[in-house]
Amino acid sequence: MDMLKAVKELNVQEPKIKKDPKLIVLKILRNIFLFIIIAISVLPFIWIFISSFKTNAEILDSALTVPAHWSFDGYINAFKLSPLHKFYLNSLIVSISSTVLNVFFVGMAAYVLARFEFKFKKGILLVLSLSLLLPMTSLIHPVYMTIKKIGLYDTKMGLILVYTALGLPSSLYILRSYFLSIPKSIEEAAYVDGAGFFRTYVEIIIPIAKPGLATAAVLQFLLAWNEFLYAIVLTNSQSNRTIPVALSYFTSQFSFNYTAMFAAIVMVSIPSLVAYVVLQEQVVSSLTAGSVKG
Amino acid sequence: MKNKALWIAVFLLPTIIIFLIVFAIPVITVVYTSFFKWKGFSGNMSFVGLNNYIEAFKNDSTFRKALSNTVVWILLQSTIHVGIGTLLALILSKKPRGWKFIRTSYMIPNIISASALAMIFLNVFNPQFGIVNSVIQALGFENFAKNWYFDFSTAFPTVTISWLVYAGLITILVLAEIMSIPESIFEAAKIDGASEMQINLFITLPMLRNILGTCVIVSATSMLKEFELIYLTTKGGPVDLTLNLPLYLYKTALIENNFGYANMMGTTLIIMGIISILLINKIFRLGKSDV
Repeated sequence: MDMLKAVKELNVQEPKIKKDPKLIVLKILRNIFLFIIIAISVLPFIWIFISSFKTNAEILDSALTVPAHWSFDGYINAFKLSPLHKFYLNSLIVSISSTVLNVFFVGMAAYVLARFEFKFKKGILLVLSLSLLLPMTSLIHPVYMTIKKIGLYDTKMGLILVYTALGLPSSLYILRSYFLSIPKSIEEAAYVDGAGFFRTYVEIIIPIAKPGLATAAVLQFLLAWNEFLYAIVLTNSQSNRTIPVALSYFTSQFSFNYTAMFAAIVMVSIPSLVAYVVLQEQVVSSLTAGSVKG
Repeated sequence: MKNKALWIAVFLLPTIIIFLIVFAIPVITVVYTSFFKWKGFSGNMSFVGLNNYIEAFKNDSTFRKALSNTVVWILLQSTIHVGIGTLLALILSKKPRGWKFIRTSYMIPNIISASALAMIFLNVFNPQFGIVNSVIQALGFENFAKNWYFDFSTAFPTVTISWLVYAGLITILVLAEIMSIPESIFEAAKIDGASEMQINLFITLPMLRNILGTCVIVSATSMLKEFELIYLTTKGGPVDLTLNLPLYLYKTALIENNFGYANMMGTTLIIMGIISILLINKIFRLGKSDV
């Protein structure tokens, strides 16, 4: 079926007035543009990837050769020269915890904001949504101070708390829209059966809202996994730093071991890349939903 | 339902607490302490009114450079960046061969950690072994050597490139919107004899006004948050050629511990965000229908 469709599309695509020179020039320009887009998107990464298997001498010798022997020394050295496994673990803990907390707590708020009428509802919704437009770079000092004051400076808990908040506005938007699309009659039946408020939410709403929760979770996970600014502001010890920060530490640590640095870049990027390629449709729809506010 | 009001409060509470700690209290603190002279950890603060602002705009050339760079980047990002992303979306909407592959690849630089992207760029433009210089040398300019990130003549454009041309998010947003336009509209235009160019210019683009406005807001405000791609490459240098407000704020707050002054910059960033959004809303008449 897909093949047939593709063939059909190709036929439609080839314009019948092919001989018009203006169209040919346009088509060439279009292809050059597309070629440049692909080149700038993948070539830098491919170059880093190939170079990570070279020796230091080969890297310094020429950028345009492939390694004589594909060696994993860079990767082994990267783990030897830095507590990379520790950084990985920290990133996993922080990203997963903040994703679970974000989706769970914001989901609860989004649910009541989608379903019930109460005092100040509009105000609460407006204020919470406004935070989406706030440049978080402006809050470096007070966030740092607050986290220090409540004793969470240089802890994973501090990062988890801040990351949970960073994704609050987009998760709220995605989840609230999703809850709004679920027919009210479903829970009403549960309430009539005598189920409590919390039980209805956990046993009825959450299972139905799974796709919406997944969309919010993907966006939140990527946010936490990639975040850099608050990671350097709120931590200062190796035991709590995350993968993106590890890279900046690599620059000084490995200034003469390029192989290890290239390997480290690859290892930092791979999880986001894999998550993106595997969950592509999910990521695309969450980005679309997360950026386009109502 | 028993205790409905109580349950509503319980469900809202965690989100509101997180919101207060990370957004509300910090915003109030930033604005309030921007009117104080507050240096170091002693906690001695003295009210100085608008002095931090006056000092910055009048006497601090580093601040003015950081501010003007930020504004230039906002303008470039809202025009060229959105332009590239939209052009690609228009092309991909015709579903040329490999369009899904292109859409996926173009998102890669946006999906990996910006710190990884910064490190990739730092190596790509490395004067000794970077691929850019190597390619230029291989093309016959054997003595070509440019320290892209640290040379006065190239630092600004080199930093700019690392976000300007990567408009994957814009492409995805615009593409999704184009695909939601009913096919019949394009068919009707074709029957009426409109060329592809005319359809793009006079039918598709006007229908994209709302999403383009959103894209311009996303792109413009992203420049108020740009940090890693400067911090990990030029650190704002040479001198302050590539410094922006977030980086200057970071240095002022966490290295010089000049908190009042840093929060003056934080307030400036918030105000710039509000102005950008209001202005773009007005230009694109967001939320208003065409009729």
